[in-house]
Amino acid sequence: MTAVKDATDDYFRHKSDNQVNNRLSEVLINSKLQNEKWMNVKVGDIVKLENNQFVAADLLLLSSSEPHSLCYIETAELDGETNLKVRHALSVTSELGADINRLAKFDGIVVCEAPNNKLDKFMGVLSWKDSKHSLNNENIILRGCILRNTSWCFGMVIFAGPDTKLIQNSGKTKLKRTSIDRLLNTLVLWIFGFLVCLGIILAIGNSIWENQVGDQFRTFLFWKEGRKNPVFSGFLTFWSYIIILNTVVPISLYVSMEVIRLGHSYFINWDRRMYYSGKSTPAEARTTTLNEELGQIEYIFSDKTGTLTQNIMTFKKCSINGKIYGEVHDDMGQKTHMTKKNEPVDFSVNPQADRTFQFFDHRLMESIKLGDSKVYEFLRLLALCHTVMSEENSAGQLIYQVQSPDEGALVTAARNFGFIFKSRTPETITVEELGTLVTYQLLAFLDFNNIRKRMSVIVRNPEGQIKLYCKGADTILFEKLHPSNEDLLNLTTDHLSEFAGEGLRTLAIAYRDLDDKYFKEWHKMLEDANALMDERDERIAGLYEEIERDLMLLGATAVEDKLQEGVIETITNLSLAHIKIWVLTGDKQETAINIGYACNMLTDDMKDVFIISGNTAVEVREELRKAKENLFGQNRSSSNGHVVFEKQQLELDSVVEETITGDYALIINGHSLAHALESDVKNDLIELACMCKTVVCCRVTPLQKAQVVELVKNYRHAVTLAIGDGANDVSMIKSAHIGVGISGQEGLQAVLASDYSFAQFRYLQRLLLVHGRWSYFRMCKFLRYFFYKNFAFTLVHFWFGFFCGFSAQTVYDQWFIALFNIVYTSLPVLAMGIFDQDVSDQSSMDYPQLYEPGQLNLLFNKHKFFICMAHGIYTSLVLFFIPYGAFYNVAGEDGQLIADYQSFAVTMATSLVIVVSVQIALDTSYWTVINHVFIWGSIATYFSVLFTMHSNGIFGIFPSQFPFVGNARHSLTQKCIWLVILLTTVASVMPVVVFRFLKVDLFPTLSDQIRQRQKSQKKARPLRSQRPQTRRSSSRRSGYAFAHQEGYGELITSGRNMRAKNPPPASGLEKTPYNSTSWIENLCKKTTDTVSSFSQDKTVKL
Amino acid sequence: MKVPSTLRFWTKMKRISEDYQSRLPDNTALKQQQLPAYRLQLSATGVLSGFFAAGAFCLGMGIILILSAKSIKEIEVKYTKICANCAELREDATNFDKECTCSIPFYLSETMKGNVYMYYKLYGFYQNLYQYILSRSNSQLLGTDLKDVGNCAPFSNSHDGTPIAPCGAIANSIFNDTIILSYNLNSSIPIEVPMLKSKITWWTDKYVKFQNPSSINLSSAFAGTTKPPYWSKPVYELDEEDPGNNGFLNDDFIVWMRTAAFPTFKKLYRRLNRIQYFIEGLPAGNYSFNITYNFPVTRFKGEKSVVLSTLTWSGGSSLFLGLAYTVTGAVTWLAAFSMMAIHLMLKKKKMLFIQD
Repeated sequence: MTAVKDATDDYFRHKSDNQVNNRLSEVLINSKLQNEKWMNVKVGDIVKLENNQFVAADLLLLSSSEPHSLCYIETAELDGETNLKVRHALSVTSELGADINRLAKFDGIVVCEAPNNKLDKFMGVLSWKDSKHSLNNENIILRGCILRNTSWCFGMVIFAGPDTKLIQNSGKTKLKRTSIDRLLNTLVLWIFGFLVCLGIILAIGNSIWENQVGDQFRTFLFWKEGRKNPVFSGFLTFWSYIIILNTVVPISLYVSMEVIRLGHSYFINWDRRMYYSGKSTPAEARTTTLNEELGQIEYIFSDKTGTLTQNIMTFKKCSINGKIYGEVHDDMGQKTHMTKKNEPVDFSVNPQADRTFQFFDHRLMESIKLGDSKVYEFLRLLALCHTVMSEENSAGQLIYQVQSPDEGALVTAARNFGFIFKSRTPETITVEELGTLVTYQLLAFLDFNNIRKRMSVIVRNPEGQIKLYCKGADTILFEKLHPSNEDLLNLTTDHLSEFAGEGLRTLAIAYRDLDDKYFKEWHKMLEDANALMDERDERIAGLYEEIERDLMLLGATAVEDKLQEGVIETITNLSLAHIKIWVLTGDKQETAINIGYACNMLTDDMKDVFIISGNTAVEVREELRKAKENLFGQNRSSSNGHVVFEKQQLELDSVVEETITGDYALIINGHSLAHALESDVKNDLIELACMCKTVVCCRVTPLQKAQVVELVKNYRHAVTLAIGDGANDVSMIKSAHIGVGISGQEGLQAVLASDYSFAQFRYLQRLLLVHGRWSYFRMCKFLRYFFYKNFAFTLVHFWFGFFCGFSAQTVYDQWFIALFNIVYTSLPVLAMGIFDQDVSDQSSMDYPQLYEPGQLNLLFNKHKFFICMAHGIYTSLVLFFIPYGAFYNVAGEDGQLIADYQSFAVTMATSLVIVVSVQIALDTSYWTVINHVFIWGSIATYFSVLFTMHSNGIFGIFPSQFPFVGNARHSLTQKCIWLVILLTTVASVMPVVVFRFLKVDLFPTLSDQIRQRQKSQKKARPLRSQRPQTRRSSSRRSGYAFAHQEGYGELITSGRNMRAKNPPPASGLEKTPYNSTSWIENLCKKTTDTVSSFSQDKTVKL
Repeated sequence: MKVPSTLRFWTKMKRISEDYQSRLPDNTALKQQQLPAYRLQLSATGVLSGFFAAGAFCLGMGIILILSAKSIKEIEVKYTKICANCAELREDATNFDKECTCSIPFYLSETMKGNVYMYYKLYGFYQNLYQYILSRSNSQLLGTDLKDVGNCAPFSNSHDGTPIAPCGAIANSIFNDTIILSYNLNSSIPIEVPMLKSKITWWTDKYVKFQNPSSINLSSAFAGTTKPPYWSKPVYELDEEDPGNNGFLNDDFIVWMRTAAFPTFKKLYRRLNRIQYFIEGLPAGNYSFNITYNFPVTRFKGEKSVVLSTLTWSGGSSLFLGLAYTVTGAVTWLAAFSMMAIHLMLKKKKMLFIQD
């Protein structure tokens, strides 16, 4: 049964796998492009990719539509980074272009490293036309990337299928079992031991009995053939009892568990509140074996991009010259919250406006109309200082190709406010300023990098003025301001803190007027520096520093990295449920921290935020040690580190106190993590991380994600859940106890590897707090009842053994034994296991603390098992000894024998069925129609089967199979039999009721309290608990985060990424400061630097 | 070329939108887990009143049962030791053909009113042994196929191979003492108390489970079978007085074949025929049991006795059930009182807490 279910599970999994495997890609076969399924793509094939397509295998880029065979890829699936990356083909292969015949004849040989999981490294050599070309990561497009801004490209497959770096990173698939499963396996072993013990006791009893009584009894019976050696008889008895008592080992339990889990999985699939109408995706339980573990989660590992965030940046607010725009003010001038009612600014006057852009503050538009020069300058800067490429589509609409979504948001904002970036050449930038086309001469491009944290452009406007426009991190930029800016600086700082407090990504904006002479001198120096062979970078950096000073502050921008809907509430609720959430992202530290603040995972209330970013093992160890010292030291000294949470709903009688050992956060970098995961520092790391409220790991590789999960799994023995949407989360999803995939997106990898999938992060709350909790609750209740039932059912044989010479005589009829577990008692407990609810789903969501019993494993553990066992043993004692006592020296109402074996069996069986039915009736806390039907139906079935099997008719047909003829009729018409059954029921149920009553009265659990409350307030539905809106007090903190990558400045100034149809003017050529090899070289070098700061880079000679 | 592709696109879109619609889960109470239901909760008043009611019922029932058990008149005479000489004789199986009788006089001080039943009671006789219970053939006892000896081994066939009827260990070990109760009306002449051997079996046993093979007379019906080794007479000669009480339909045989649940058991032997002096029951006076001692219990250290008993409304119930009910009732009340005390105490505390 379990096998069948697993097989169907696998079948559906296989089906969705097929969906991926059968995706088509264009492959060059026999000099023709043909569609081929992904699974048939082989190493050495030449594949054509088109814009926005998924890459099917690891490819060597041969040529592309873009100049210099560049191509842009989005690697969000791989590492979660949102910016575009550039790959380029070797110049020798780029000549092939789109010429299919030449491509088909391509016969290069690639010698490269063996398949591995390093996403940022590749080494190989291409031998073609008698020459060798070295290959590196820049020439390779990995599977899982999406082609962007490139209309086509050709590539040769280097690794396919399981050899691709993506799959190499996804880790092994392990068979997942729940902790209850593992506990059950132990318990079943114990029960086996118990069974053997019982068997041995009875076997010894039998030997003694045979020796003392049985022998003589047999002699008396003339049963000489039956005579046995007592020891041998005991041996046989042992095996007989093992067979008889084997019902104590719950075999049908496993089947029933699977049925219950299947039911719960269907409930997840059917839940409309986890259905995302936006993408028409219902939640899906892809495995049906892990449901109750959803109620025991202690740690959640979440991906950032696409899971917490939507990967959409929107321009939210700005501060221009000390004035804040973007907040909505009501008539009284008070700030109000954004609501749907507010009218967005109408951009219809601007034909070029982006329709999707929305801004709610009309004052900015008014300022533009009034002609505020600072506002103009601000918007002009946004339209000039960036690396965006523009393009017009067939409908004449302006399309921006952005390499970082932040910039896209800024440029789009400028565009909607009338400063439309139209086009660029290496020397010029054309902007439509409020309807008039203005062309600026681009004099210099001071590119962005992670150290500078800013970028600048130097332009000459048509009036001949030279201006430097700069945008960057506030912390850096504010140091470079002209002293006269002090007042504005203070004002803007306040605004920035406010933005940062709202979790927005901020950039400070400044400009500088330059005079011609100064600029010329500086430019000359720059050219000199460029010509230098050594120390070039340092010199250039110095020059950049020099010109970017005495800046005039314009203001600041605030871009929202749009969170998925309901992320903050979900995270708040889950933390109230004592679930720890760790964010593991491949993204930059700044971005990750920013998101941490945006989702309220990091707050200003936190005592300390430890940042571990050491590059060597020694540094990392030192940092960890320091952090730990800090943590424990402060903890000891301060007693107010204990925070008392008070819930409004639970008033005085039930103040929920929650002590948190201080609020700390840990932020750890990927390269530090690599060292920290080494064995000797591991313990420090896990100790520290678990003391912290929030842990953020940034720049981690997919495999590191899995390692972190494994670490927590192994060292904390906690139940973990990993949630993610991209291929980079696959390994983490696979190694966590529960993997959740965000579905409804383009990439299917995460969903395919996951156990549960749904479309929105916020559904996690419902999945865990409602479905998980119920599943755990039901499963535990089911198990407790099931063990109780089996013990009560089976152990009477043991007691009977002492009265039947240990002869392995069963108490019940064989038919009853066969039918008891399957027919008479299975359905009520299944109905309870599937439908039971202690509190409603709404309450489960309103009181996340209800989740705690699952994490602490309170509802079913070894202790509870022993209680069930004791309960079962007690019931079996009552069941056996009350009839035994009553049957002693008894006679029927007409004086006839009623103390015969068959009547005893019927009495016991009837008592048992009634007792366990009453027990399940008490256990069922949610009586639906189905429960009624099943419970009453089971009792009715018992009696009808009993009377049928004891009927004359069936005895007439099978006399030897149904020897109990007439028994039910005779026994169950005797008053004293019914009195026995009644007494047995009362005696076995009463203590249970007493215990439950006292437990609820003396030690009520939260769910008991909520149930009581709901009962007393039945009419007035309890209000939804209003959690105080968590709005952080703004304090000084930089909200700087910018998903930008260096290298684009050079691309622009060199004009290499410009279309051929936009030929750079002739004057541009001489101005290009570098030769064509050097910029590519630089680009390669710098991009690899940013992708991985610890990867050893090899410069490629072309 | 373009037309078909757009067409295909539209059909695809349509399919997708249909698909999307069907993906929205149904809004049924079952699927959304919103089935109307009664939430069972143990309320204090409910539990306490239930406990008081149950306690009262149990106590009442217990007292009634004890009283009715007390009203039963019962006399038990253990005759293993009294008839020691017979017991000794039966120790040796070779003396099976020697008759041994034993008379046990006793005095009934009170009249046993109403129906009086005579039982034989065995101590330490394991009729519930697994192999013993199995050792019978229901189809043979049904009279359809005498040769079907089923699980009867080793009592299935005699040495020469003829099937034993009735076969099996149960039938072979039948209780074969004869007990006659005589009443000494005057000191000199004992009168045999009239006893009935009818209606001492279950109706279904007599009319469904046991049937004689159909034939003109029983002896020919049982031709081709042999008597069980322990028996002195074949099955068709069990009751010489009443020819209808022979074969598998012999009442004593049927009673014996309904195996007892425990090693100590009593089985109905005779009913008092309420005629002549005995219309009211058994009058007080001197009686004696005249026993033909055949059943050798001493070999397995057992004992046997004969019991005379009357019945009440619930049959021949023993004191145990009444006591058990009384104890359960008392415990239930005790529990109810202590629960009430605890509950009220907590309530008071809670009130104080809220007032603070």
